Amino acid sequence: MATVAIPAAKWSWESPYTQVRTSNSLDADVQLVERCLSGQEAAWEDLVKVHTRRVYSICYRFTNSDPEAQDLTQDVFLRVFKNLRSFRAGEGLFVVWLTRLTRNLLIDHYRRTRMERATESIEDQVTALEENTAAIARTDGMVAGREASELLQAALQKLSPELRETVILRDLEELEYREIAQILNVPEGTVKSRLNRGRAELAKVLRRQKIRI
Amino acid sequence: MTCAELEILLCDYVDGTLRGEEKSALESHLSGCPACKQLAEDVVGVTAFFERVPQAEPPAELLTRILHQAPMGPGAVAERLPSDPSRSWTKRLFGGLFQSWLQPRYVMGMAMTILSFSMLARFAHIEPRQLRPADLDPVKVWQGIDDHSHRIYDRAMKYYDNLRLVIEIQSRLREWTDQDPSQSAATQGVQTNAQPAASERGSQQ
Repeated sequence: MATVAIPAAKWSWESPYTQVRTSNSLDADVQLVERCLSGQEAAWEDLVKVHTRRVYSICYRFTNSDPEAQDLTQDVFLRVFKNLRSFRAGEGLFVVWLTRLTRNLLIDHYRRTRMERATESIEDQVTALEENTAAIARTDGMVAGREASELLQAALQKLSPELRETVILRDLEELEYREIAQILNVPEGTVKSRLNRGRAELAKVLRRQKIRI
Repeated sequence: MTCAELEILLCDYVDGTLRGEEKSALESHLSGCPACKQLAEDVVGVTAFFERVPQAEPPAELLTRILHQAPMGPGAVAERLPSDPSRSWTKRLFGGLFQSWLQPRYVMGMAMTILSFSMLARFAHIEPRQLRPADLDPVKVWQGIDDHSHRIYDRAMKYYDNLRLVIEIQSRLREWTDQDPSQSAATQGVQTNAQPAASERGSQQ
């Protein structure tokens, strides 16, 4: 019977995200939001500090640009700042609400900048490809750290936005399928299907660049 | 198990949450379907690759920028939202419609644009009061710039020539003032030498 070797460290019986996000952290989010709404400046600072990394990371992985990710993160928190009263603790997690808001902003940004991306200089793409190839040659296909991050960034840009956002939310942000389904407003089965397709396409792109996966 | 069913269960299998009959059915399908086996290997390979990718860390200044942009907490801002009916209609109009235009970056950009156009107009000798559509003709603007640049060049050359003349005169004057003390010292020396001779002549008489 054929089985596929599954790395045990990450893919344990319980999702790592579930392990990390304990009930205490969920309560902490709700308490922070309540304190923010009562006008406590320190609570707002804490809320921004706790969630900046997640929002920036999603934006950066999606756009592949640090300045764009920074601007979008600012926009996300400005929108949170204005719409925090619309968050209902009983209707879902704050993280899901925040990620849905981030995702909506990213999709708006994607549609707005479609033309700019279409006219992107071919020279830039060729330079990036040469740099990637040189990096892989140095590491004999087994890349890690910053190089792996850059290669993943380039590979993610080859995916359609639907597949890209699903892979980012699951594999990089480690959200639950149920939460991703809420964020994207699609059934869980669709999330899993998109995830498989996205991962398979990523594997093809990485293999094409002679990267050992 | 069909390929479509496997696709739905594959995520759980990779997560390690698939158990019992479903797991064995999936594994038996994998042994007989090369396409699904390839898909499963790709999915597992990519998830392993993600393990080697570090988290994207935001720059430290981003937090400061966000807090600077929205510093007082949503409680404070909620009171000033455009939907607040207690606000007067003028505040709602300017706060809502023109809020984005009144941001520093827009105001700064607008000011720079106006400044650039006014400098260009001044450089091309276009008087804002007499400005007509014909004045914005690229050929006319170019001729104006060309004409003005020639004048500036001529003025610069004249200024350079004048400056050279002034420096030449100054250096000549300096030379003369440098020479003068030596000449005066020489004349003084002649006079002091002449006085003892005269006194000697007087004593001899």
